[in-house]
Amino acid sequence: MRVLLVEDEVRLAENLAAALRDAAGFAVDWAADGEEGDEFARGCVYDLVILDLMLPKLDGLGVLKRLRARKDSTPVLILTAREGKAAIIELLNAGADDYLAKPFDLGELLARTKALIRRGKGAAHPLLFAVNVEVNTLEQTVRRAGSLVDLSPTEYRILEYLMHHPRKVVSKRELLEHLYDYNWEHHSNVIEAHVSNLRRKLDAAESDAMPVIETLRGRGYRLAAATEPGHDE
Amino acid sequence: MTSSRSITWRLIGAVLAVEFAAAALVISLSWGYERHAHFRAFDVMLHGRADSVLGAVQDAEDAQDNVMLDTADLRLPSEDIYEVYDERGRLLGRSANWSGSGEGYSIAAKDGFVRRIVNGQHYRLLRAHGSRIVDPGEPGGGTLRHVTVLYGAPTEHVWDAIWHAVAVYAAGNLLLLLVTGPLVAWVLHRGLAPLRELAALAGNVSADAWEFEPPETARSTRELAPLTHALESVLERLERAFIQQRTFVSDAAHELKTAVAVVKSSLQLLGLRTRTPAEYQAGLDRCVADTARLEDLVAKMLTLARVESAATPASAPATCDVVQCVEETMREMETVAALRQVRVERTAPERANVPLTVEDCQLVISNLLLNALQHSPAGSQVQLNLTVMNDAVELRVADHGEGIDPALQPHVFDRFFRGDPSRSRATGGAGLGLAICKAVVEKPGGTITLASTPGQGTIVTVRLPRA
Repeated sequence: MRVLLVEDEVRLAENLAAALRDAAGFAVDWAADGEEGDEFARGCVYDLVILDLMLPKLDGLGVLKRLRARKDSTPVLILTAREGKAAIIELLNAGADDYLAKPFDLGELLARTKALIRRGKGAAHPLLFAVNVEVNTLEQTVRRAGSLVDLSPTEYRILEYLMHHPRKVVSKRELLEHLYDYNWEHHSNVIEAHVSNLRRKLDAAESDAMPVIETLRGRGYRLAAATEPGHDE
Repeated sequence: MTSSRSITWRLIGAVLAVEFAAAALVISLSWGYERHAHFRAFDVMLHGRADSVLGAVQDAEDAQDNVMLDTADLRLPSEDIYEVYDERGRLLGRSANWSGSGEGYSIAAKDGFVRRIVNGQHYRLLRAHGSRIVDPGEPGGGTLRHVTVLYGAPTEHVWDAIWHAVAVYAAGNLLLLLVTGPLVAWVLHRGLAPLRELAALAGNVSADAWEFEPPETARSTRELAPLTHALESVLERLERAFIQQRTFVSDAAHELKTAVAVVKSSLQLLGLRTRTPAEYQAGLDRCVADTARLEDLVAKMLTLARVESAATPASAPATCDVVQCVEETMREMETVAALRQVRVERTAPERANVPLTVEDCQLVISNLLLNALQHSPAGSQVQLNLTVMNDAVELRVADHGEGIDPALQPHVFDRFFRGDPSRSRATGGAGLGLAICKAVVEKPGGTITLASTPGQGTIVTVRLPRA
């Protein structure tokens, strides 16, 4: 998952980015002002935008309004140090999905971040099921037919992303955009290697089962169709 | 209206008191006039009746040429009294209801009025001398006989008439008093209506609702116009001060919450997972640095509060030498300047006294110098010029930094304003330095201005009165 963090307070941004990367395994891009944040958001590659309200150049509300005016439905979590319900009502009405008042709890921020991303993908529960695969997004653990599969962080992120988009063809480019922030070099063969490892580990967990991830040459990857009803929704 | 003093009741009281005094004067004057007029008429009547009695004195047709009183044709009120004496003191006649004055005839007694109580009634008596010629046809012109007439009538009717007239006056005045009271009250009530309206409007003003639109009647009333105007300007000033204060509190809350959020997130980040001792140490160092920034923010806010709250100049006017303060501050800033590889050039006179405490003066200089140093590229210079003018001391701090966007320049003295937030936050600025400078400089009547050209640098000019 890739998160855009728009926050002008350098130290707070550093801490939030570290927490999101470390504890949630997200890729994080940081914008220090509203204009920069708006520019970043135009790429439409983010799974969540964390937006501070008091920003230089363009305030959080302005960024949010532009985002929604572009019909961008990325979930938006607002950080605010302002008092008063009126501002919060205005924010929610302008298209914000949630808000946190400063000083907030880092644990709560992470939980809300995950919940918003989940909701943004149409899943209400932190447990994702598909093709006899169970992904626990809180513990970041994966089970195939009940047995634990040990994945690297990147492998896990690829799987989680695919689980959030069942039956959708996900291109390598899309995976790259959602798994890495701008600090990483984008090489599609890195993705290929990770997907190959992921597929191997998943298929090893259950013998004579159909592959979990299908490869559509030149187009990307797709989660296999469910064979056991009740497990893919 | 009960316990407090009421203008309405005082005015009504004053009007009634004046009216009452006027009524008393009118009544006493009318009493005097009526008495005078009635008694004049009464006296004329007494004269007339006495003359009638005199007319009844007839020739007695005797040898001594005496006179006599013939009462046969006299028509006089029954309660009137009279008696007639001749010059020899002989009683010629007397009214039946009187036992007589007892004074007889006296040639010495002059004409005039006396008061008597006869038969238990007050009488006014007229003593009149008259004469009658007996046998005027005889040679020598007849004999002249002098008589004295005493004629009296009861004064009770006169007094009745007087009191009656006075009573009419008094009743009229009483009626006037009774009507005036409510009438004045009503007129005042109506007249003071704009005042009540104004008070009701002013009463509606609160910290959340500052709207005060005085009615046209209050504005156009000469007595209320100054009050209306004063209320308007006071409310306007209060509202401005209130909004300014609220903005400051809200900004301060925002800054403090953000600073606390940084410290809290730093600590929680450290606790997210188990780390190596080196990682913990680095995290703790960051926490300490974050706390130091919070501390700096609080200290600056307190400084600003101190500078702004001391609204009036100190009782003992402070003075300090700016030259000395500049030297002292430059010594403190040496390390910062060396670290940033910026050279500070200074021109200053021997002495220049300004009405500031040493602490405040150094506060201003260090804030300006630190700003200049932080915005100067390495290898550049900061010029600090101090000039003494006729009645002012001018301090100019010029850097050759990146300058400030002209659109932002009007806000540089606003509290919590940052030209480039990410940059100055990184350097630890709270956006209060120039606001503190402005507050310090303006207290003794000084000015602070900023001129900046993007790409060339910024010049801050402080002008203080000489002490």
